[in-house]
Amino acid sequence: MIKAEPKTILYFLYQHFDLLKELFVAQSKNNSIDYEFLNNEIEKYGKEIKSQLFEYHILKNINDEYQITDVYYNLFEFILQQFKPLLPEEIKKYVQSISQLFFNIKEDINKDKNILIDRIDSLTNEIDKFLSQVKNNTASLLVKSKELKANIDNIDYEEKIHKASFWIEYYITPLNNIIDVQNSESIYNTLFKISEYANEKRMNYNDENIRLKFERLYNRLKHTLVEIRLQSEILVNELIPLIERIKTENSILKGMHIYLSKGYWHHIKDKPQCRLLKKQRDNIISKDFVLTTKEYFEQFQQEEDVFINEDKHEFNDWIFDKIKYKERILESMPIEDFFEWSMNEIKSDFKDFKTDNYFSIVSLLFEKDLNIEYQNKYKKIIIENDNTELKIPVLKITKNEN
Amino acid sequence: MKINYPEYHYEIVKKLLDGKFILYPGNLYKIISEQENREFYIDFFQESFGYELKIETEFIYLISDNTDEKTSRDIMIFISILAFEIDKEGKNFIEELNNSLFSLDRINQYFENSHSWSEIIKENKQINNSESRKSLIYNTMLKRNLVEKIGESFQFTKAHKVFLDFALELIEKDKNEEAHTPNKGYT
Repeated sequence: MIKAEPKTILYFLYQHFDLLKELFVAQSKNNSIDYEFLNNEIEKYGKEIKSQLFEYHILKNINDEYQITDVYYNLFEFILQQFKPLLPEEIKKYVQSISQLFFNIKEDINKDKNILIDRIDSLTNEIDKFLSQVKNNTASLLVKSKELKANIDNIDYEEKIHKASFWIEYYITPLNNIIDVQNSESIYNTLFKISEYANEKRMNYNDENIRLKFERLYNRLKHTLVEIRLQSEILVNELIPLIERIKTENSILKGMHIYLSKGYWHHIKDKPQCRLLKKQRDNIISKDFVLTTKEYFEQFQQEEDVFINEDKHEFNDWIFDKIKYKERILESMPIEDFFEWSMNEIKSDFKDFKTDNYFSIVSLLFEKDLNIEYQNKYKKIIIENDNTELKIPVLKITKNEN
Repeated sequence: MKINYPEYHYEIVKKLLDGKFILYPGNLYKIISEQENREFYIDFFQESFGYELKIETEFIYLISDNTDEKTSRDIMIFISILAFEIDKEGKNFIEELNNSLFSLDRINQYFENSHSWSEIIKENKQINNSESRKSLIYNTMLKRNLVEKIGESFQFTKAHKVFLDFALELIEKDKNEEAHTPNKGYT
């Protein structure tokens, strides 16, 4: 029993509001108030108030913990508009009680009128409480999300991503599932069915008093359905995108932090980089190449006389024409002895040939479309012009049809 | 055999091979992303150059193993530091990069006041002073269509999201790297 006058209690609340607010914030964070914290706070305002806190049933003591009693805690939540988000399980209990009351009303609709009135009143109250909890929860989740966005607790990216995922997984998505207008199993659709039933009964029930009760229930439901639709829209259009944005934003910042702080920017060959195509160089010869080349060399041109001494040195003027010899090979197929054939060919074209000229023709052996058959025979040839003696295998050449 | 190429074929190939991003809703974007051309261009770049054509909802670009790591590094550092500085101001950096106009003065202020990343800024020749930053923006990034010049300012095109997506990929890549790095603390 509280002996104090109600006005005395209200005056005490008014006088010590700052202290009570501190205690409320502490309990909101930790679910209880630490003994040491309580004493430190009380000392700031005067020790004598400790006994009043217990006398007016503002505080209760459970083991070594202190808590603000429920009625005052709810009052502070309301006047400070700082609601603690409820778990979806705590909200779901209203769904169950509403469904059960509706079932009982329908079952016993023609039985005792007094219990019917009590049940209609109780159903109306449960719907009110449910709506109030949903609204408080959406509002508090919105506040929590905005606090997270503004990073008032100064937490790092990792923690922010974790918190955003936490709110979505355990609070926002389950709450949305409960009130989702699109979901046929949601409370919205249950309330809609109750509303249709109440609408019918407010018209045709045979007792006027009960008709009025149904009328009241129907009007309350009309308002509730509009409100739930609104809350669902806030969740889907505002809260979920906000939390998703926080998650994305902080994930990107986390990735960028990794890039800058873990040396990805420093070791570009060893660490992954964003794949940006290397610009292509145009290697095709430009049609203006003669002019541009001339222009390039002209800039180094010296206006000096140039004397040319005739060089008396003799040049070997045979040039290997690969296409010509390749054609000849193809015409002469099959060739029984490739090295001998090559020797005859060069002798007929250029009588002063040397070993390197001979090898130029022999290099055609490696062309892809020639088939080489090894005969397991060797022979000796001599190139007289530079006194070279070669031991060479006898190779048969045919066309490679593959 | 005469092949009929889509309209603006030369321009499309030239731009993409120059490492440019082709942006939505431009005409070239429309031509490549049309149902009848989409497969052709994917095959064309794969068969002709071995490059992968990425057709995203807001831009198109080519990727290959032949990457320009230095340019990529410089732009990634630039955008990352910019994002951190905008975030520090309490603004949404995603929205700012998407919609805001940036003047060189604003960019210079961010980079000159960035104490957290000052060492990296000092070390990178493409961002360590006002002139180099100007060149990075109006030469390197403008040429690749990563930014658009508007009057005296510039705006990021949607192609900048390639770097934001890379940052997201990096979280996974870094996790994998850490998982495969032997613990150096014990022998």
